[in-house]
Amino acid sequence: MAVMQGETTRIVLAGKEPAPRTRMPRTTGGWLTFVGKLLVGIVFIVAALFPLAWMVIAGFKSKTEVIQTPFQFFPEVWRWENYTQILADPTFSRTMVWTFLGALLFTVLALAVNSLAAYAFARLDFRFKRTMWVIVITTMFIPGMTILLTSFIVVTRLSMLDTLAVLVIPGAASAGMVFFIRQFYLNIPASLEEAAMLDGCGRFGIFVRIFLPLSKPPFVVMGITAFLGYWNSYVWPIMTITTPERFVVQQYLATFRSERSTELGLLMAGSLLAAAPVIILFLIFQRQIIGNIKMAGLK
Amino acid sequence: MTTVEKSARHDARQRHDRYRYRDTKLAFLMLAPVVILLGIFVIWPAVYAGYLSFQDWSFYKDPEFVGWKNFTDVLSDPLFIATIGRGFMFVLMTVPPMLILAFLFSSLVVAVSRRFASILKVSIYIPTIISAVIASIIFVLIYDYSGGLLNAFLGVFGVEPIAWIGDPKWALLAIAIPAIWLGMGLTSLIMVAAMVDIPVEYYEAAAMEGAGWWQKTFYITIPQMKNVFLYLLVTGFVAAIQQFELPLVMTGGGPLDSTTLPNLFIFNHFRNDMNVGYSIAAALLLFVVLGTVSALVFKFVNSERLVD
Repeated sequence: MAVMQGETTRIVLAGKEPAPRTRMPRTTGGWLTFVGKLLVGIVFIVAALFPLAWMVIAGFKSKTEVIQTPFQFFPEVWRWENYTQILADPTFSRTMVWTFLGALLFTVLALAVNSLAAYAFARLDFRFKRTMWVIVITTMFIPGMTILLTSFIVVTRLSMLDTLAVLVIPGAASAGMVFFIRQFYLNIPASLEEAAMLDGCGRFGIFVRIFLPLSKPPFVVMGITAFLGYWNSYVWPIMTITTPERFVVQQYLATFRSERSTELGLLMAGSLLAAAPVIILFLIFQRQIIGNIKMAGLK
Repeated sequence: MTTVEKSARHDARQRHDRYRYRDTKLAFLMLAPVVILLGIFVIWPAVYAGYLSFQDWSFYKDPEFVGWKNFTDVLSDPLFIATIGRGFMFVLMTVPPMLILAFLFSSLVVAVSRRFASILKVSIYIPTIISAVIASIIFVLIYDYSGGLLNAFLGVFGVEPIAWIGDPKWALLAIAIPAIWLGMGLTSLIMVAAMVDIPVEYYEAAAMEGAGWWQKTFYITIPQMKNVFLYLLVTGFVAAIQQFELPLVMTGGGPLDSTTLPNLFIFNHFRNDMNVGYSIAAALLLFVVLGTVSALVFKFVNSERLVD
């Protein structure tokens, strides 16, 4: 009901009918009929989701069924065993929990340090601002492979190998993230700050009381990016984490595949469960993520 | 100019500077975490890599300066040159198909109802959030010689089974497919965003003149999206030539090195080779090329933004 009232108010205020909400089609007439568009659309959806759907189905198969000949798409009997068994496996569940906690810690740390820097670059005047901006931005162009080995040497010297710190700290500062959040802070009107300053609020107070509460849109997008980056990372963990008890989830899956290569149903169930957190996260925030592609892209 | 005037101006300048730089202390405090972290984990390793590339060095002996030797070694190594060629091959296999598919996809998205468009957008983006490890596991099973889905499907049309990732002829293509699957989401959505930005009036005017879909696409959509194409082409190139997680997990670079892309070549050298300088020199050479390309694009994109 509230929605309806809102609509009515808007119409009254505008004094006329609002513009129809359907989008003007780009191509009238079109290259395809309605049915054709639907079919092509379904082809795209199937191509995008099919490998995942197949993984879900394979998770219900017994270990010999997954790649048996002749090929069978559906299992003879749908079994939950793989899912319950992998969840009951203490190594898997511990790996999932630790990867999740590590990813959360990484996300919080990354948002904290990068938003501080973003605020300084967006709103403060200080010595060497330009020089420091150039230095920070330049780091965006250093590819991971170039510094992979020397970063490894650095973390070895800092005795960080095989700890949670080696996964969380080295990647936390990110010039890309500073850039993205700064773009957002540049667009916050100065009048908000001036009002706060008249009330005796300092620069740092403005950051905490005004900028942080307004930061939800860039924080959601950057937070998800950071979380995904941590959750999906594989190469850095295989170089720095050697104790199997401390493996991250991708490392666990890759090792599982090479070491227990016959238990394919179990592997599929595990892969699905390992992908589940990021899929759920994406589905919750997909509106913000997709809406912000534009910001992250060209304009 | 008298001394008095000068010192007055000097004072004014100082006052101005004091005002201008009034936040310096706070700013440095706020920047410290990022600058220190980047310094330790990015800038120092980069400088160190530059230094090591001129040394003959391994974990077991002291570095010895060898000048450009590592670089000339890399450039005269037929294996490295071959991986670069393979990298370009891989780019050709992934980037053009991805751009064409993404263009078709975004043409579809802007031509259908809002609800169907958002279902399409969400579906295409889901693979993007899946890790390369999980994609590798799925596709290795799909490609399985005797019990895999792909050979079973092709078998329906009477095609003999193919050892997709076991046959050097097919392995690179077999790795290109999951790469496209993983990369389509972002490419498509950037294209959709660009396509939505084209003013509707252009199409209305063209429709008035009786232009069909093909004409609108060739005379309006494609020219209007020139910059986006260029941007996606270059970022796609840089991403594809640096791909190495998929071959690392799926094939380990084999069979017969047929999937050893440049970064995987370097990575394997890191793990197996005594002379670290060689691997680092190879990584730096690759970086010089890619860094130049990205910097140019970044500059280009930025200047375009200023025009708007």
